[in-house]
Amino acid sequence: MEIYLPIAEISVNWPLLILLGAVVGFVSGLFGIGGGFLMAPVLVFMGIPPTVAVASQASHVVASSTSGVIRYSGQGGVDFRMGGVMALGGALGAIGGVELFRYLRLLGQADLVVSVSYLVFLGAIGLLMLYESLTTILRRVRGEIAPRTERRRPLWLYGLPWKMRFPKSGLYISAIPPLGLGVFAGILSAIMGVGGGFILVPAMLYALRMKASVVVGTSLFQIIITTAITTVLQAGRNQTVDVVLSTLLLLGGVVGAQLGVRYAGRFKADVLRAALGLIVLLVGIQMGLELFVRPSDIFLIAPGVADG
Amino acid sequence: MIQAPPPPPPAFEAPAPERSVDTVQDLRVAAALTNAQVQVDSRFRGASIVLYGAVFNPTDDPTDVVVVVRGPDEPVRLVKKTRNLGVWLNSRPVLFEGAPGFYMTASTRPLSDIAGFGQLRRLGVGVDHLRIDAPEESRTVTRYGVRDVVISRLGEDYLDWRRAVIRLREAAALYNTDPDGVTFVDRGLFRAEVELPAIAPTGEYHAEVWLFRDGEPAGVSNLTLTVAKVGFERDVYEFAHRRPWTYGVLCVLLAAGIGYAASRVLGRR
Repeated sequence: MEIYLPIAEISVNWPLLILLGAVVGFVSGLFGIGGGFLMAPVLVFMGIPPTVAVASQASHVVASSTSGVIRYSGQGGVDFRMGGVMALGGALGAIGGVELFRYLRLLGQADLVVSVSYLVFLGAIGLLMLYESLTTILRRVRGEIAPRTERRRPLWLYGLPWKMRFPKSGLYISAIPPLGLGVFAGILSAIMGVGGGFILVPAMLYALRMKASVVVGTSLFQIIITTAITTVLQAGRNQTVDVVLSTLLLLGGVVGAQLGVRYAGRFKADVLRAALGLIVLLVGIQMGLELFVRPSDIFLIAPGVADG
Repeated sequence: MIQAPPPPPPAFEAPAPERSVDTVQDLRVAAALTNAQVQVDSRFRGASIVLYGAVFNPTDDPTDVVVVVRGPDEPVRLVKKTRNLGVWLNSRPVLFEGAPGFYMTASTRPLSDIAGFGQLRRLGVGVDHLRIDAPEESRTVTRYGVRDVVISRLGEDYLDWRRAVIRLREAAALYNTDPDGVTFVDRGLFRAEVELPAIAPTGEYHAEVWLFRDGEPAGVSNLTLTVAKVGFERDVYEFAHRRPWTYGVLCVLLAAGIGYAASRVLGRR
């Protein structure tokens, strides 16, 4: 049941990889996220070099997001104009991010940056989600009515140049904020191997105040483009994409994702958000913990110049 | 003009009699590998190769056999974690210019009983005597915009770094010392096992079979062993390194295609 991965250069148990892909796909379908942030830590734990794990799972994100976008675009839930602007930023971010990642690897600081990014971003997002969903649940249990949310967008969104019309999102704003969001997601995608959906979705909802019905589909559309570019760049620049690994993961992933989507309807949205917030927070803490725990060996082999 | 065909090869290699007569007093060792070509394919989980050999010992003096297998040399970069304000951070990388990617010794007795420190050091036998390339002066090299410190073999912390390379590689089963890995199956006939882990580097390996008598090397036999990816694994690896951009584009198309197919097949409800 073992298979040798040609790029990662180790043998792994392949049914386990398919299962991992399926579990992450299930979570991703259930919550409408890419799920990359869950996969990288498990792959690293299985002994796959972190750089190969991060680069290979990006193509898992491509596959699960593709099937997601097809589903949402059928329901008119993708703003291709907005997604395109964000993807342009994503491409720039990905190019910068892959170069940054390459430099950090050579510097021997890639692990540190990956750990800190996980701790900061997942920790913050997890806490926010948990807080927001728990207050909603409490209110529902007590039978209170939610206070009217502030519907005004921040004013600075209107003061910026390059205004564009996004009819599907119901917006007429400057192209700079979506572009900037895209750049940010692109950098994250290169460094953490994630799609960045967990950051994009709240930002699009609460900062840009896009129409809720197009948020998830549009973020998935931009994630496809950004992670596709990241995958090509990682393969071209660092030779760290293992096609056997990513195919095994996404075979399980696409099946799991479809199952997850079916089960998603059975739970209340705020309960799902609370569960996701908890998972995100725990993964962030787990990844960040290694910064504070005394390592078992204070010496560590750093990736060499020879292997990328 | 038709050339006469070459004489057929002899049915078996007769032991060269004049040599054994002339050198009847000589100690000799001969060895071979059961498998000189290790193929790495999708079922590769490491390999175990048997090295067998014979000692021609005309006297009754006890002899020792030491088998040393060395993988291809490659540069090693290490970082050291240091604690700053409660957070463990990596130091600047330190570079060794070359260390074997695989190294093992198997012997009939512990190496320190077989020969003296100086002798082992001179021959480079044993992990403690392994040659890890380091220049005499530490310097920095800049590659791709990153400054690496090349460790000096005279520096005070050289030994710590060196021990760390060996310890990390031993933990990964890449370096190995087996003080009774060479077993005599019969008088003069011995065998040893070479255990290659799944992460063993590919390339040319060199095996040396040393024969020691009274702490002095009395003979050596050299063998080579090739570890190479074959079939699908080699094709993928070579493709990913020779045409990396095309490879990346194909990976993405494959992923998108599977995602599309899955949504068509499974999502139809």
